Amino acid sequence: MVEFIKSIIDNINYVASVALFVIGLYTVLTHSNLLKKVIGLNIMETAIFLFFVSIGYVNEGRSPIINLGGDKMLYINPLPSAIILTGIVVAVSITAYSLSLIIKIHEAYGTIDLNEIMEIKGEKSNG
Amino acid sequence: MDNIHFPIYSIVLLLTASVLIPLLNIEFKKIKLFLVSVLAIAWLLTLKALLYVYKVGSFTYNFGNWNEAIGVQLLVNEFSAFMSLFILTLSLLILIYSFKDMEHVINNHKLNDYYTLVFILIFSMIGITYTNDLFNMYVFMEILSLTSCSIVSIKNKKETYMSSFRYLVISTIGSLSILFGIAMLYMVTGHLNIGKSYEIISVAWQLFPTNILTAVGFILTGLAIKAAMFPLHVWLPDAHSSAPSASSALLSSLVVKVYIFSAYKILFNVLGETIVNALGIPAFITFFAAMGMIMGSVFAIGQKDIKRVLAYSSVAQLGYIFLGLGLVSTDGLAASMFHIISHGLMKSALFLSAGAIIYYKDKRNINDLDGIGYEMPITMLVFTVAALGMIGIPGINGFMSKIYLSFAVLGADKPIYLILILVSSFLNAIYYLPIIISAFLKESKERKNIMVLDKLPKTMIVPMVILALGSLILGFYPHLIMEAIEKAVPTFLQ
Repeated sequence: MVEFIKSIIDNINYVASVALFVIGLYTVLTHSNLLKKVIGLNIMETAIFLFFVSIGYVNEGRSPIINLGGDKMLYINPLPSAIILTGIVVAVSITAYSLSLIIKIHEAYGTIDLNEIMEIKGEKSNG
Repeated sequence: MDNIHFPIYSIVLLLTASVLIPLLNIEFKKIKLFLVSVLAIAWLLTLKALLYVYKVGSFTYNFGNWNEAIGVQLLVNEFSAFMSLFILTLSLLILIYSFKDMEHVINNHKLNDYYTLVFILIFSMIGITYTNDLFNMYVFMEILSLTSCSIVSIKNKKETYMSSFRYLVISTIGSLSILFGIAMLYMVTGHLNIGKSYEIISVAWQLFPTNILTAVGFILTGLAIKAAMFPLHVWLPDAHSSAPSASSALLSSLVVKVYIFSAYKILFNVLGETIVNALGIPAFITFFAAMGMIMGSVFAIGQKDIKRVLAYSSVAQLGYIFLGLGLVSTDGLAASMFHIISHGLMKSALFLSAGAIIYYKDKRNINDLDGIGYEMPITMLVFTVAALGMIGIPGINGFMSKIYLSFAVLGADKPIYLILILVSSFLNAIYYLPIIISAFLKESKERKNIMVLDKLPKTMIVPMVILALGSLILGFYPHLIMEAIEKAVPTFLQ
């Protein structure tokens, strides 16, 4: 039991990122408010960024700048951090596009609640 | 003129053109020639690259001469060059068709924006096909999903907003799942380059079987969402049916296929055949593929809107492609690639002819199509050829891909799937034949059935006819494409 708790504490980044991923997915799937769905997507994205950056972390490593001084030569892996910068850009563009779509949906239906939109659509197709 | 930069030129050319279109700010009428010529030049460059690959052999290209461990690498081989040529050929035909149709559908001042999006879309599809880097693949996928959502939502209609929002949310979940899987693979290998990952995974996979299985599970789930494999297809019918017809043709015949190319790369270039078999992945793929083959057709039978019928039929046809992939044999992969191409031809012909009907008659309900074969004979002939191909009538390429798939299934000793292929073909017949019959044999309510030629613009008719002729030619001479595919398959399976 002690070892189990210790392994969780040692890998707290990974545990947290998986928890965040699940929270985000739950938000996307269960909330009927479109804005909350977008927030859920953002939480999922953050979870993966945390996961990716954690992979590159080296215990007691320094930031990877060559010959900054000091005698320690252990660096963290810079590649995941650099890659996640691109990931953040992608996430921002998705958020921007989905928010602009929500504005358009609000103009068209007067609401951003999925259930109400479905009702409006249902009335149209029945009548 | 042996130059290894050709594939890169074609990618950069498309990206530059997409940036230039809004900057040039000239009238739409004048920009058409520019668009077609850019795509034609990209097509020629890719053809050149393909011929070069056939003559000299495959090669890798490191962007900016960075080492592949930290940089982006493209892999130009018999598969990627050939499939890029296929993508460009279809996009060129759809582009020529789309000019008149889009003028009809969307506002004039938005036309240039639409073609910006289309060019970025084509650019990212070719990027995914060429890339040899996992993270680069993810970035291209995100560009692709953003642009494909936008070409759905560009039509200013209520429904398109909702369907493209749903498409966006679901495909973002898919791509995040792919990124999660890539991160787990990176944990094992420490490389994002596909070649390097393969070297390490083939040595180290027995140390981390759970990790690799989870990673592949995440990646395949994500790709299955994006490629509309059966239980995850919910976004496809809405998005593909509410989009403008030219966009539907692009989305249905090309975009979903590109994710299958990535599935090939992940399964066979990153993991390799032995690991895929040892982890038991093929059983899952074939199971869901077979479900999709049947259920997609069953859903299509109940539809009234002609474009929704076609969209559900795509779900069924993607089942065939995944079935060939799931057999993990040379024949199965060849059948899968052949069906990618033949479905691309048939489905774009179907969507373009359905689009022509909507353009000319503004009718979408399949019950209103009585006697339309006399009013629009060329369009309906194209539709008939492609629909008969979908059913699998001999002489059209759909038949040949079913033959190849059946032999592959028998070669893998799984005859149960042969029965499912037959059942699926019958189901296809149930929903395609009534449309054809009512178009040619029923009396129209509004006018007498007198044969007149289509009053459509030539730029719409010619691409449709070329697509239908392509289907027929491949039906009679399948080896034209099969020879190229037989060269492409060994890049995945030895």
